[in-house]
Amino acid sequence: MITLYEIAERTQTGEKVEEKKWDMDFFKTISELVKKYDIKYPGEGCYINMDDDLAERAFQAGIEFLERMGIYCITTRRRVRLSREEILTAVHEAPTEVLMGEGRDRRIWKQRKVNGNEKLNICPGHHTPFTEDLANLVVSNFAQIPRTDFIEGFNFASVDGREIMGPPMEVYASRRQVGWMREGVRKAGRPGLAIVYYPINTRAEDLIGAMDPDHGLRRTDGILLTLLPDLKMEQDMLSAAIVYEEYGSFKLSGSFAIAGGFCGGIEGAIIEGIAKPIACMIAYRDFIHYTGVEHVHMLNGRQILIPGLNWARSVVNQALNRYSHTICMRWVIPTSGPGTNLCLLEGAMQAIEAPINGMNLYAPRQARTTTNRGQTPLEAEWMIEVSDAVIEQGFDRQGANELLEKLTRRLEGEKPLEGYTITECYDLIHHRPLPEYQEAYISVKKELTDMGLKLNF
Amino acid sequence: MDISKQTSEQRDLLETLKSAIIAMDDEKAKKIAQTIVDKGFDPEPAIKYSIAEGAVEIGVKFDKGEIFLPHLVMAGDLMDEVAKILEKNIDAEKVEKKKVILIATVQGDMHSVGKNLVSTMLKSGGFDVYDMGVDVPSATIIEKAKDLSADMIALSSLLTTTMPYQKEVIEDLEAMGIRDRFKVMIGGGPVTNDYAMEIGADAYGKDAVEALEVAKRVLA
Repeated sequence: MITLYEIAERTQTGEKVEEKKWDMDFFKTISELVKKYDIKYPGEGCYINMDDDLAERAFQAGIEFLERMGIYCITTRRRVRLSREEILTAVHEAPTEVLMGEGRDRRIWKQRKVNGNEKLNICPGHHTPFTEDLANLVVSNFAQIPRTDFIEGFNFASVDGREIMGPPMEVYASRRQVGWMREGVRKAGRPGLAIVYYPINTRAEDLIGAMDPDHGLRRTDGILLTLLPDLKMEQDMLSAAIVYEEYGSFKLSGSFAIAGGFCGGIEGAIIEGIAKPIACMIAYRDFIHYTGVEHVHMLNGRQILIPGLNWARSVVNQALNRYSHTICMRWVIPTSGPGTNLCLLEGAMQAIEAPINGMNLYAPRQARTTTNRGQTPLEAEWMIEVSDAVIEQGFDRQGANELLEKLTRRLEGEKPLEGYTITECYDLIHHRPLPEYQEAYISVKKELTDMGLKLNF
Repeated sequence: MDISKQTSEQRDLLETLKSAIIAMDDEKAKKIAQTIVDKGFDPEPAIKYSIAEGAVEIGVKFDKGEIFLPHLVMAGDLMDEVAKILEKNIDAEKVEKKKVILIATVQGDMHSVGKNLVSTMLKSGGFDVYDMGVDVPSATIIEKAKDLSADMIALSSLLTTTMPYQKEVIEDLEAMGIRDRFKVMIGGGPVTNDYAMEIGADAYGKDAVEALEVAKRVLA
């Protein structure tokens, strides 16, 4: 695979491009490829892709897109060109398994097969802000979920009572984040559990500052280093990638495309959604990715259902799993907040898609999250329960599609609910939802069971 | 704007111009604008009806998911070009000055999607928008706002740890004794209305659609 130093050089020597020109060329090129490869939403009722030819065409479109566009370095305003050979080498040389954690908590995180029958890897939480007073209680709650394979850090506004502002405090906060994570996993009896550092900021010093084999990020831990939307990279992230590559930590990327942005609609987002994790592999050596397609209106918490979105995610993940070595995860992001039945229904929808499309599961969190309101351990345990049931009951693509149709009908007309803070709906001392949330959970389980997914009571 | 009192020929031109803008048909829209100028018709209805109402409909289409960010960019650029053609026949002094909004993602933050959506929505909505990009220091934002005589400063932050820079801009404006010169609107993923009120912002925009409504209300 092309080296990170080669990428670094190309960020300095590549063709100069103004950002607005990049953005509009991005849209124009993707639009051409949508037509060229005939990528088209079949219409209502299609949630899981059944067209294997389409998945292959979409994959080819993604490769051609990356070859034609390259990656844009926003630091130097230059294009990093990649040859088709370099792209295909990355696609095939990337690993299909990542080893993480240590001792009895060592885990192997794997690429999944479409409609596979192995249980999924799990990251149950974080990637959402919490206040420091809740820090290690929250971490230990999530870490004690037995199926947890790694756990990601979180952002926060103040540390030791001081506001986090500016590089010195950001670096200090980065070290505290990982410190709290390590304390939390120890308290859960899982001292070797892999931790993924969630960047306090994307400056190089904030990314590298967390590294510390004794008190911070170990070599068996990971870090989230991701391209921005529209295939844009930063030199600071690349700097961190170079350091962590030598150090030995694994790297994660946030590789979904955002429909409604410069990729256009869901069809264009499919192409970006395929190109992006490959670009992340090349630019930062990320080997685990949250993949698929989201939509601006959903991420902003405006709408629960977007026509074609489930299908688009399905195409992306089927394409990546069939034709590349991309380890995919489904980031479960309901628009409704924790403590509500809608949060669990939306989460179920996304957890059903995951095993069918070949995706592991990652950090359920409200789409438009704010401090302490993003998630509780129940949503993580729920997504495991649902995806395990889908696998155990042998749902195939058609069966899953029918289930998703029922869930869609159920959610039609609903508006996203704000939800509650973690302490308003969850008992962190005893690791259980508070009574009202527990009732909502049982009620949603009954609804899912009536729809045809048998769950244990 | 009520165009019922225009002649039938003028009404036809105005409606066709509005449709061309909504369809983002550059050639047609500019041709009609030039026709309005060549015929000596009052360009004001074209600006206040065809462009302004066209912008509203474009905003609705974006909200419904029928068009996307690149379309907003193209629409904004087209509306600017059409306005330039129409304004040729208006004395510079009589050209109604648009309200100016300066927008930036604050220092230390490289995220631009939300800011781009808001920026293009505001531009389509009839504001003169100056987009400073990402990772912009507070002092630079304020200097530019002063240079432009901006009416509003819009600040985006997607990280919890960059939200304090939204507060810093407000504090610096106060320290310089020029807080009253600018309305300040903030937004971004972790930002809330409560936070906006806490730091003394004038407004909060939850997303691009709301930001436009709020800007229109605050700058009315």
